[in-house]
Amino acid sequence: MLNESRIKLMTKMASFEANEGKRSVSIGTYFRGDYIGKEVIKSVIYGTIAYVIVFALYVAYDFEFFLQDIYKMDLLGFGKEVLFNYLKLIVAYSMITYVVYALRYQKARRNLRCYYNNLRRLNSMYRKEELEKNK
Amino acid sequence: MMAQLLVIREQLKNFYGRFENYCKPALKFILSLITLLMINGKIGYSSVLTNVAVALIIALLSSFLPMNFIVVVDAIIILMQLYALSLESVVVVGVLLLLMFLLYFRFASKDTVLLLFTPLCFALKIPYVIPLAAGLISTPAAVVSAGCGAVVYYVLSYISDNASTLTSMGAEEMLVRFRFLIDAIVYNKEMLMVVAAFSVTIICVYLIRRLSVDHAWTIAIVTGALMNILIILIGDLKFNTYISIVGLIMGSIAGVLIVIVLKFFVFNVDYSRTEMVQFEDDEYYYYVKAVPKNSVSVTDKKVKKIKGQNKETSSSDATARRNSTMEKSEGDVPEYRVRRLATKAGGRRNDSTINGSNKNGTKRIILSDEEIGKDGIVPTTSRSSRPEHRVDSNGLTGIERAAAAKAKAEREERNKKGE
Repeated sequence: MLNESRIKLMTKMASFEANEGKRSVSIGTYFRGDYIGKEVIKSVIYGTIAYVIVFALYVAYDFEFFLQDIYKMDLLGFGKEVLFNYLKLIVAYSMITYVVYALRYQKARRNLRCYYNNLRRLNSMYRKEELEKNK
Repeated sequence: MMAQLLVIREQLKNFYGRFENYCKPALKFILSLITLLMINGKIGYSSVLTNVAVALIIALLSSFLPMNFIVVVDAIIILMQLYALSLESVVVVGVLLLLMFLLYFRFASKDTVLLLFTPLCFALKIPYVIPLAAGLISTPAAVVSAGCGAVVYYVLSYISDNASTLTSMGAEEMLVRFRFLIDAIVYNKEMLMVVAAFSVTIICVYLIRRLSVDHAWTIAIVTGALMNILIILIGDLKFNTYISIVGLIMGSIAGVLIVIVLKFFVFNVDYSRTEMVQFEDDEYYYYVKAVPKNSVSVTDKKVKKIKGQNKETSSSDATARRNSTMEKSEGDVPEYRVRRLATKAGGRRNDSTINGSNKNGTKRIILSDEEIGKDGIVPTTSRSSRPEHRVDSNGLTGIERAAAAKAKAEREERNKKGE
């Protein structure tokens, strides 16, 4: 027999699964540290790509200067500066990523907790129906 | 006046609810077409791509694909148009777009509309709408989208304004052209200032509109506009960008007015609440369409005011007043109509309804807003004002409690009879 309140609950849960739930469920498969760590590593990779591109552009911009002064300039000092700037960028980018994805993880867990509570409610509804049938 | 506006809003909402399947692709099509035409108008150097038919075909394609497809297609079109101008501009703008995509897709991939609207609003001379609107509807991550949109507009404007300079340079001056373009990005103080002003304004509006004070949204709009003006003025003084102060103030006033209209018609109304979901249990397949219930239908009513009969009221007046009161009381509790078509698992459609049956096998199930909850999740502790929806400490709603009490009373009665 069809149960009205059960159908309502199932509708809402299906709606959640179709929208926000997709992302929340995929996030929920990770531990917090694993999820944030994965995203920070991704950011480090993207940050490195971005830095390499910008550095290439910088070299292309000052190409004549580099060709003329390559033997005169302090290459070690220049390398240190480049590395230091890279580290600054990566640390800043990783920190922003950490904060953003920690908040996203927290939100996803909250949604999932709510979803699992609904699952429990649904289960109890089925159990009640079973009991009523058996009577 | 206000009532009329409310009616128009309801009509818009109803229209969108009824024709959502057609409205969404149509809006995507329009947005995509406008952005493509704007790009072609600004940097239309390739005769093939500038053809309106090409823009129409791409826009039509975009209308059935995800929103981010429009962004990617626009980026490709920009690069192809610039290729017709000079290779250096392709390299510089390509690198810039790549860097922006690295940021955008990491943090704000859902703010596509904002990213597309920012250059559009700049072109329409109403750029100050963007930070206010973004702060109201989005999160601080919108800073990325609005910033990227502003950068794209300024870079394309610069290239468009200096196209003749770029083409007049000889092939041996490749490095000069390259530097010319990079300087345009790095030393464009106005662009950097606007991006900074937009970022601060978005965060400011976001923080204020979240405060639990009366008229938080209006306060946020006004404060955001003032903040925007202030930052741009300070930037103007510091960097000597020669921004028109009258233009800035008039633009900000226009921005505030537009955002107030948007707030009324767009931000406070959830147009996309029609849900179509499918699920199944052991016995049935369920195909559910949840449609938001119409709460205002004033246009059908005609209330005649008869002068000189203040004390006596005509029957039509009384009926109209009663109807209006009833509709108002219904409207106070937002509800949904859920149309259900139940199909027996593996079998043909079963037309029986939940409680009894009707001819077409559909039944209205009323869900309150509290039941739907945010993101379609049922709150674990119901905050509904309806007693039958309140959940007690055992997790039972009023309906379930009543059913349990009834069952208990019947059991006791049976026991007594047995004795």
